[in-house]
Amino acid sequence: MSIDPQNESAAARLSGDTDASGRIISDDGEAADAAPAPSRVTLRKQYEPSWLHTITSKYALVVVWFVMALVFYALMPDKFGTGAAFTSIFGSQQVLVFLAMAALVTLVVGEFDLSIASIMGLSATMVTVLAGLHGVNIWVAVVIALAASVICGAVNAFFVVVLEVSSFVVTLGTGTLLLGLAEFISGSNIISVSNDAFSNLSNYRILGMPASFYYGIALGLIIAYVLAFTPLGRHMIFVGSSREVARLAGIPVQGIRAGAYMVGGLLSGLAGVILVSTVGGFSSSSATIYLLPALAAVFLGTAVVQPGMFNPIGTLIAIYFLATGIFGLQLLGFSGWIQNVFYGAGLVIAVALAKIVRSRAGSA
Amino acid sequence: MSAPRLEANSLSKTFGATKVLDSADLVVNAGEIHALVGQNGSGKSTMVKILTGFHAPDPGGSVFLDGNELSLPVRWQEASDAGISVVHQDLGLLDHLSVAENIGVGGFIHSRFLRKINWQAQRQVAKDVLDRLDVQVDPAMPVALLTPAQRAEIGIARALRDQAAGTGLVILDEATRALPRDELARFHTLLRRVVDEGTSVLMVSHNLDEVLGLSDRVTILRDGRVVGAGLVTSELSEQEIARIMLGKSVDRVSRSAPSISQKPAATVHDLTWGLVEDFSITVTEGEVVGLTGLPGSGFEAIPYLVTGALRPESGTLTTARGSVDLASASVADCLKSGVALVPERRDRDGLAYEMSIQDNIALPSLSRRGKPWRVSRGWQRQQAIEAIEELGIRARSANTLVKELSGGNQQKVLMAKWLSVGPRLFVLHEPTQAVDVGARRDLLQAIRDNAAEGIGVLLVSIEPSDLVDVCDRILVFRPHQPLVELRTENADDVLDAIYEDTTSATGGHHEH
Repeated sequence: MSIDPQNESAAARLSGDTDASGRIISDDGEAADAAPAPSRVTLRKQYEPSWLHTITSKYALVVVWFVMALVFYALMPDKFGTGAAFTSIFGSQQVLVFLAMAALVTLVVGEFDLSIASIMGLSATMVTVLAGLHGVNIWVAVVIALAASVICGAVNAFFVVVLEVSSFVVTLGTGTLLLGLAEFISGSNIISVSNDAFSNLSNYRILGMPASFYYGIALGLIIAYVLAFTPLGRHMIFVGSSREVARLAGIPVQGIRAGAYMVGGLLSGLAGVILVSTVGGFSSSSATIYLLPALAAVFLGTAVVQPGMFNPIGTLIAIYFLATGIFGLQLLGFSGWIQNVFYGAGLVIAVALAKIVRSRAGSA
Repeated sequence: MSAPRLEANSLSKTFGATKVLDSADLVVNAGEIHALVGQNGSGKSTMVKILTGFHAPDPGGSVFLDGNELSLPVRWQEASDAGISVVHQDLGLLDHLSVAENIGVGGFIHSRFLRKINWQAQRQVAKDVLDRLDVQVDPAMPVALLTPAQRAEIGIARALRDQAAGTGLVILDEATRALPRDELARFHTLLRRVVDEGTSVLMVSHNLDEVLGLSDRVTILRDGRVVGAGLVTSELSEQEIARIMLGKSVDRVSRSAPSISQKPAATVHDLTWGLVEDFSITVTEGEVVGLTGLPGSGFEAIPYLVTGALRPESGTLTTARGSVDLASASVADCLKSGVALVPERRDRDGLAYEMSIQDNIALPSLSRRGKPWRVSRGWQRQQAIEAIEELGIRARSANTLVKELSGGNQQKVLMAKWLSVGPRLFVLHEPTQAVDVGARRDLLQAIRDNAAEGIGVLLVSIEPSDLVDVCDRILVFRPHQPLVELRTENADDVLDAIYEDTTSATGGHHEH
């Protein structure tokens, strides 16, 4: 038997240097096993990601966002650089933020909810019909609409979680059904509500921005905190990542899945309330146009902050990134169609690029 | 003398700053089974990936097939035409398709214009290759209905489909991993038949036992270098191969003096589910109890039944923290009683692969150690770093994703995850499945060490060598019969007890 003598010394070194407690902490498998054995401290340092790497892998979308804003500013300093432009970008996305957060809550636990926009539509319709046509107190109407939204979420949960029907099928069905219901209730009319207090709920200006802008930011931050720093949030992420692993860790998987649908319903309902409060009225047929932008924003958000994971801060960034791009392009003279083109292209390109950057980083 | 079937000269591969493969040579002769072994990360899978064109090697190497030089990086079409084929770990079979279709994939015979597949010719191709290998399987049968051994045979048949008898090289990349050991022999006969025709086989395997029993020669890699080139297998022992692979002798698991108290860590009473009838067992503190039996005889469910993962018809679990009715208990209830489970399927049941080491280890402790409104990260990180150091997990940091780790290191993370809850009874199912020798030793040592600290361990496994290495006593389960208890350090005793047909249990006594 022939053993390369060169390696005998390596063997001696290995057996001498590494014991159970002092084992080399290096990358596993393909990458670093063959490296000589540096101390643990130097390895830690060596693998500490550089700031450049952090920016390219985690915040590339933010960089693109700023570059894009600078380009718009350079092209149209008098139009794009104004406070009014800032307000129209950041003050107009609240409904989308709430709806996107509703989608996010279900996507995080590995579920898919296509009915969010319809729940929002039903909620908005109920507020306008109850308060506008039947003279119910506006706040009572809001509470009833939100309760109905949670019930819609519970119905979804019943079919998906208890009966184990595909979430895609169930929410596509309930989404269509609820939309029809909303049209029935409203008689497919645009119904308006006028109540100053209710309008101020969303439109009251704080530092030049509508109050509802702050609600959206606060919601994103709360969800981010819950996901990162509470047992519930960590459990949600594991349920979404691997349901069986979560179950065997004693996590109430079914409860968390059902809860996500109900919270998703509640947030969709809130989106409807914010919508009516901001605009002062609602036409049930307009609900569906919100679905794809909300989902697009959540998926685009997986390209930032925590790449590869659904995360609320990423979703917020994605929403305002898309709003900035569309606003700028519209200022440049592109008409309405640019919105869909930009949403679609932005989503696919950004998520694909993030994946490429991530896999590069992984194999380097 | 004719050229060897495969001759690879000084193949190197560098990732970033790391040389994963360093001037490695490999010579496979015609008509031999050549084994390629090494720990995870030794470069053996990189070598295979270079030969199959998945990785481009560093400049400077060369690859010859039957004396003809292949262009580098290897283009799969060229290599395939020259006679290299691969059978991967998962065999790549589509369950709902027929044997003939599975054999035909990648080389369907179709008409020139409509490109319609000629199914009759396809079935003939399948039949020819199956006949050649003397495999008795109906080509029309859906693959889903086949046994694991038959599936492996279909994998080989596909690899040999386009090769004339007696030529070519089949690379088996851990292809026997999924085979139950009682079906291995049949598969080995088939491989022998293939090489006796003159075809060569390059097998990559973790299983040294199999390497010894099957291969003619073995090439051993360590840290990217060839440390044993084409050694004749019959002159080696398992111990010697392992020693060359690891660069040090494989220590047996060391046992501290038996510290078994008489205090029971956990007792299971009258467990009934399927073939498990009125199963009872007591594990005392500091004791490692093995449980084994014939594969498929029902004992495989026991680790899940006693931990709340699977609900039995009846059964009680008693620990110092009280009794739990297993028929209605949840995993959380069993965890509260101090019973933790390391499941067999680490990919599906054990770990969330897209999450980090730290997150995975912290998962079961979040509710207990955190407050409902806040879990801090400090202890999570601390816990992960301790696990990395204590179990020798090879990872860049605590934030490395589990999917980036090798099987052995993943298994260590899984074990650390459940040790972190401080169990009184630690239940493990096949904890050394598909891990390399070094990791296996570390894992078994960790089991022993934790037992020494007073934890009761129930190790459920079909690996006799694992059982005899760590267990204080081994229980052999057979349906409708009392348990047989063994105290032995000889793996053959365990095998004898498992496969014994008669009801008379030799040398053991019964436990109820």
